Amino acid sequence: MKKVIVVGAGLVGCFCARALSKYDIDITVLESNGDVCTGISKAGSGIVYVGYDSMPGTLKSRLCIDSCKDFAELCEILDVRYKKCGSLMVSYGKRADERLSKKLDHGRIGGIAGLRMIDREEATAMEPYLNPNISTALFSEETGTVNPWELCIAAYECAANNGVEFKFNESVCGIVREDEGFKVETNKDSYSADIVVNCAGIDSDKVRELCEKPQIRIVPTAADYLITDNSLSGYVNHIIFHEPEEKSKGLTIVPTVDGNLLIGATERQASAISTATAESGIGILKNLCSEIMPELPLNKIIRSYGCMRPNPYYVDEEGRLLEEKKSISELMLLEDNGLFSFIGVKTPGMTMAPELGRYLTEKVLGVLGDIRERSDFKPYRQGITRFKDLSDEERTSFVMKHPDYGKIICRCEQVSEGEIREAIRRGARTVEAVKRRTSAGMGRCQGSYCRQQIIKMLEEADERI
Amino acid sequence: MKEYKLLVIGAGAAGVTAAVAAARAGADRICLVDRDSCIGGVLNQCKHSGFGVGYYGEEMSGTEYAKRLDDMLTQAIDGGADIELRLGTMVTKITENRHAFLASQGCYEEVAFEKCLLASGCRETTLQSLCVAGTRPEGIYTAGEAQKMLNIYSRDVGDDIVILGTGDIGQIMARHYLDEGKNVIAMIEKSDAAGGMERNRRNIIEKYDIPVVLRSTIVEVFGDSHITAVKVRNLDSGEENIIECSTLITAMGLIPERDILDWDEKKQLPDWLTMCGNCDYVHDIVDSVSLQAERLGVTLAK
Ligand SMILES: Cc1cc2nc3c(=O)[nH]c(=O)nc-3n(C[C@H](O)[C@H](O)[C@H](O)COP(=O)(O)OP(=O)(O)OC[C@H]3O[C@@H](n4cnc5c(N)ncnc54)[C@H](O)[C@@H]3O)c2cc1C
Ligand SMILES: Cc1cc2nc3c(=O)[nH]c(=O)nc-3n(C[C@H](O)[C@H](O)[C@H](O)COP(=O)(O)OP(=O)(O)OC[C@H]3O[C@@H](n4cnc5c(N)ncnc54)[C@H](O)[C@@H]3O)c2cc1C
Repeated sequence: MKKVIVVGAGLVGCFCARALSKYDIDITVLESNGDVCTGISKAGSGIVYVGYDSMPGTLKSRLCIDSCKDFAELCEILDVRYKKCGSLMVSYGKRADERLSKKLDHGRIGGIAGLRMIDREEATAMEPYLNPNISTALFSEETGTVNPWELCIAAYECAANNGVEFKFNESVCGIVREDEGFKVETNKDSYSADIVVNCAGIDSDKVRELCEKPQIRIVPTAADYLITDNSLSGYVNHIIFHEPEEKSKGLTIVPTVDGNLLIGATERQASAISTATAESGIGILKNLCSEIMPELPLNKIIRSYGCMRPNPYYVDEEGRLLEEKKSISELMLLEDNGLFSFIGVKTPGMTMAPELGRYLTEKVLGVLGDIRERSDFKPYRQGITRFKDLSDEERTSFVMKHPDYGKIICRCEQVSEGEIREAIRRGARTVEAVKRRTSAGMGRCQGSYCRQQIIKMLEEADERI
Repeated sequence: MKEYKLLVIGAGAAGVTAAVAAARAGADRICLVDRDSCIGGVLNQCKHSGFGVGYYGEEMSGTEYAKRLDDMLTQAIDGGADIELRLGTMVTKITENRHAFLASQGCYEEVAFEKCLLASGCRETTLQSLCVAGTRPEGIYTAGEAQKMLNIYSRDVGDDIVILGTGDIGQIMARHYLDEGKNVIAMIEKSDAAGGMERNRRNIIEKYDIPVVLRSTIVEVFGDSHITAVKVRNLDSGEENIIECSTLITAMGLIPERDILDWDEKKQLPDWLTMCGNCDYVHDIVDSVSLQAERLGVTLAK
């Protein structure tokens, strides 16, 4: 059987693995961290973009539009919470309307449905807390949101169910071309492969350069976010995109599937690869918030977090930047004789991820030639039942059948022992991994109430192994 | 569906005392609920002394105070008080038509009640809610979590400790760590004097000579997987210092826990709902909780 190695288990790697697993291929994913979705993917805004932000006609625009159309169905299949909340793009200042119409034009050219300009009255009726100093707003009915961890974990579990092997804590440090295919070396082991798919996010340039000359390099910048508790869920009903006047970053507010508000994201220089937040960034977000949603109670913020943006630039063979000012905005999939590299997949990378998987698979099949489609591919995946999302009737019967679901461990998010045990059974080995799978510890008290109990359950599970 | 005259949410000092007082004053069909597996609430994690002088006229530890509550409740029930104690049970929701939903191992149940006493205690302010910049490493605990680690889970927190906040809980933890031979590098306090009760300041900060950095706060956290240092800023001069540490304990105060109320904070509470203990307002000492609860219990029986 032909062998494909995927490097990196972020959204792109997991969806590539899932798409490839529809075919008769032996697939291994190598991930340097202990879990999936620990890189860029863990900290995005979780917006399912309709695609009017990208230049019409580009690959990026096409993949985003196609992916968005199927997103609701995909989330159904993967049992991922998806909220089609719609979005409102607003802009203040002199040329506000012009900026918005340009976006609308992009959308029209791309054939995006559910897009229209609305007036102030309609906009403020939709969002009563919005600064009403606007004449128009761009409303997009089809924009939605998911939790990026949940989506990534779902793709991972689905791929694993279809026979993809995931190796965690294995960092790829060598890729050697052999007579046929590659030898891929990690800190622990070495693997032969016919094809290597490099989805290493912020390090995708470095991974490619393990066996190729430089062509594109990533210059990271950092981003900051704030999250409010879920008592503000009625405050903002749609995703709010604020288009700034200058070339700075605007504000985005997302009413998440968990009921919190996500407020982001800044863009600032980063001295190192780090997810630390900056005081300046947090300050900018708070200021923007008080301009755009003046009454938003900032005392409901429960945490801040940071992440990296991977900005790709063309370089020469020595790695010197060719065009210093402009980062590449088109999606970059480099093909070097059996080594495929996604270099720096930026927004809307989460939205595109399912399509990226499909697109990549076509390319891989093109190289491998005649590969059979599997008849036993299972597209579905079952998520962990959430006590919080059940109705009272459902809770009654579910708890009767699964007694542990009646024992609430995380008081803020109402996560039960049953959910946590199930997350551990599915492979969660750290408090963080449990949190990503169940939301335990994500609420107001940030785990100070439940963390010790979860550690105890993890220890018990370790003893059993 | 079960119907109760009085639903008491939380079996800490407030809930237990109020339930017993209500029963003694003639109330029946009382349901006393707590999500923990024993009564006593926050007292169970307080092994230190300093409880009970005001109510029992003698000084005891928090756990001993909890034992008194337990004895009082058992005696009352043995003596015929109509109190149904439901431990390991969380009230997940109360509705305006006076129904409550109770979740416990194997059972999710809807009950009806006439009156409700909310005695759900309080929660702690977290560092994260201050939006402090920097990384989000391990090794940062609220004082309550640190206390649970110490007295319930027997887990070590680390050796070089910075404490943010100088309230009673912060000081009690500091004393404990110093007695254990750990290094309490500094306590950081934003106001211009250390907080907490006079007797704690005298017996802890002064007696142990703990360095207190006044008019200051933490503005940044360092460390990738585990905390390595914090940046402290003076609020007046803006001067900044980096303090290396392996542990940060936050003791920045308590917030009444009223999650279960969907009501807008500005809206008036319904007349069938009463709040008591730390859930009503933060009480410095448990004795004042017991006194308030006793009084409210009698009123609720009417
Ligand atoms: C601030 C921000 C907000 C965003 N918001 C949105 C949004 O709202 N909607 C949207 O559609 N998109 C959004 N995106 C884009 C999206 O999040 C990314 O495009 C996507 O997550 C990229 O995923 P990835 O798999 O390429 O990278 P990653 O998630 O970083 O995955 C790469 C993985 O490779 C691993 N790896 C690296 N090197 C090696 C090695 N040598 N060996 C083994 N493993 C290795 C890493 O550990 C990591 O797990 C946002 C991006 C940013 C930065
Ligand atoms: C660390 C610390 C040190 C202290 N030191 C002293 C001291 O030295 N001397 C002194 O006199 N006082 C001290 N106090 C103060 C005193 O202990 C408290 O004021 C008092 O115990 C509070 O009692 P309570 O019943 O209001 O709250 P709690 O004891 O917090 O009880 C609330 C109960 O409600 C339960 N609950 C909450 N929500 C739900 C729900 N939805 N469903 C079911 N159950 C629920 C909780 O599990 C808990 O058991 C200290 C307090 C703390 C936190």
